[in-house]
Amino acid sequence: MQLQYFLILAAALFCIGIFGLITSRNAVRVLMSIELMLNAVNLNLMAFSNYLDAQDVKGQVFTTFVIAIAAAEAAVGLAIVLAIYRNRDTVDMEQFNLLKW
Amino acid sequence: MDLLLLQSIWLVPCYALAGAALSVLWFPSIARRTGPRPAGYTNVVMTFLAFLHSLIALPATWHQPPQQFFFPWLNVANLDLTLPLEASSLNIGAMVLVTGLNLLAQIYAIGYMEMDWGWARFFSLLALFEAGLCALALCNSLFFSYIILEILTLGTYLLVGVWFNQSLVVTGARDAFLTKRVGDLFLLMGVVALLPLAGTWDFTELAVWAQTAEVDPTVITLVGLALIAGPMGKCAQFPLHLWLDEAMEGPLPSTILRNSVVVATGAWVLIKLEPVLALSPVVMATLVWIGGITAVGGSLIAIAQIDLKRTLSYSVSAYMGLVFIAVGTGQSEAALLLVLTHAVAIALLVMSLGGIIWNSITQDITQLGGLWSRRPVSGLAFLVGTTGLIALPPFGSFWALLKLADGLWATQPWLVGLVLLVNGLTAFSLTRVFSRIFGGQAHPMAQRSPEISWTMALPMMVLLGVVLHTPLVLQALSLLPVWTDLNKDVALLLLWSSVFGCSLGAVVYLGSAVPKPVQFPWKPLQDLLSYDFYTAQIYRMSIVLGVDLVSRLTSWFDRYLVDGFINFLGIATLFGGEGLKYSTSGRGQSYALTIVVGAVLVGCLVMWSS
Repeated sequence: MQLQYFLILAAALFCIGIFGLITSRNAVRVLMSIELMLNAVNLNLMAFSNYLDAQDVKGQVFTTFVIAIAAAEAAVGLAIVLAIYRNRDTVDMEQFNLLKW
Repeated sequence: MDLLLLQSIWLVPCYALAGAALSVLWFPSIARRTGPRPAGYTNVVMTFLAFLHSLIALPATWHQPPQQFFFPWLNVANLDLTLPLEASSLNIGAMVLVTGLNLLAQIYAIGYMEMDWGWARFFSLLALFEAGLCALALCNSLFFSYIILEILTLGTYLLVGVWFNQSLVVTGARDAFLTKRVGDLFLLMGVVALLPLAGTWDFTELAVWAQTAEVDPTVITLVGLALIAGPMGKCAQFPLHLWLDEAMEGPLPSTILRNSVVVATGAWVLIKLEPVLALSPVVMATLVWIGGITAVGGSLIAIAQIDLKRTLSYSVSAYMGLVFIAVGTGQSEAALLLVLTHAVAIALLVMSLGGIIWNSITQDITQLGGLWSRRPVSGLAFLVGTTGLIALPPFGSFWALLKLADGLWATQPWLVGLVLLVNGLTAFSLTRVFSRIFGGQAHPMAQRSPEISWTMALPMMVLLGVVLHTPLVLQALSLLPVWTDLNKDVALLLLWSSVFGCSLGAVVYLGSAVPKPVQFPWKPLQDLLSYDFYTAQIYRMSIVLGVDLVSRLTSWFDRYLVDGFINFLGIATLFGGEGLKYSTSGRGQSYALTIVVGAVLVGCLVMWSS
């Protein structure tokens, strides 16, 4: 197995995440896409740490932090979605265009 | 005593300036209670002082070399602008003429302006003119002459526009200023271009330079043409003559001064420049042509006028045309003599007509008539003025015209014919005016016409005496040609042209053979002459139209193209902001898309460049 395949897989996962981030109308699905992207990043970190830094495995440390931060971020994100939902009664991203020009 | 006065001759213009400054005290807004009369009296006293000063100083210059005075004015870098004054018998004689005529005109104005409140303004302007004319007579530098001419142009504007609540006065003053200004500006070009050629503006040094000058004929022709353009406007020569006609809207006493001496300022400069002009035969020929056309045209137009003052103004143009011919053929002495005799004669004519206008109100000669029995003094003054103006021996202009024609006889005989024609036409014109005013039946406007008061009659009579004595004075100063050297043929021809003109005028206008509003067989020609060759329309269709169009075009260009371009930049920025703000769509996902697109683009750029 080579490093590139992991990286390509991670990149593909990241792009799927971006696609979901940009096209989803549901705010929760946007958060899920963000999770996808973070996981793609984690995959990257793990691959790099395995192939390039087998001694110190700093990448794994990074990954642990990212997972922790991602969990907190997802929690805050869901809180925000809930707060919006209370006021607007919807989680449709198309309805959240109040702060324009 | 007279030597002392000669040493201080430069004071003469200052008297008049002091009078002009003192007049300010009696402006209606300053002396609210006492009225304006003291302004007139002050100026008369000042003018009398100036007249006495120059008159007493005159004998001291007799057969003496000219005295030079220098007043440093400005000295910068390599240019030394020192005002040179010259006191020769000619210059001081000119000052005697100017101050004398102004004294008479001012006394006349005391009578004429009786019912007018604007004495302070009027007399201060007359004094400004006197100062300017005296300074011009003394000044021996082309540059300073130009300055004085420009000040006098401004003076003309103000003096013609004294009664500025009349619309014709305002347009007349405007035309007088602009027409003379155009000529002056051409003169300035000539003045400026002459310095690198000659290295001096001093008239005397210019004459010395001209004797041995070797310059490019084209250059000196162009400079010469520019130099005659100034006097052309000043002397009301074709085609810059309309202003004199319209300047007749000004107060009559100023007309006395203008017609006699102010128009001669151009001739004076021209005579002084004669050595420079003589360098180019083209310039001399142009002078003769302009003078000739003006002389014939002016005297023809004068015949077709019905306005009293305008019948004289065109004769003034015609006689200044003769002066141009004299200068153009190199006869400076004849030109000076003609300026002198013309000045006194035309001043007397204007005074006489002014008296008629003052009591008969109308200026239309078809409305007057039959005044001879009731107004002999004015009639006599007009007759003497006529004899002084046309070539009738032994009166003044006969000798001047004789001298001119005599000089032309050998070289350009056809010009003698022109002089004879102009003289005959002027004789006809003046006889016509005399016959329409003093002869025939009195029209309603002239039924009751008393003779004028002493303030107007006195200067008229004094001037009448001066006109009658002019030939005697000239003879005493041995300025007249000796009888034995006379060209008797020319003298006879001149005499006959005058007699012919006068008698034809008398037959047509005093006799009953011709029906009275005289109709010329060919009406368009009569209209052409009475409307001054439609000069006003020609101006309006050519120069005025052109300048007007160009100025409208440049104004449009400035308003729409220049301003428009800058405004376009502002508006484009405004619309740019207005349009681009819609990129802030308010959708978080579109911002994310923008970030991604930007990141991809930067990535591509980095990949490509590496």
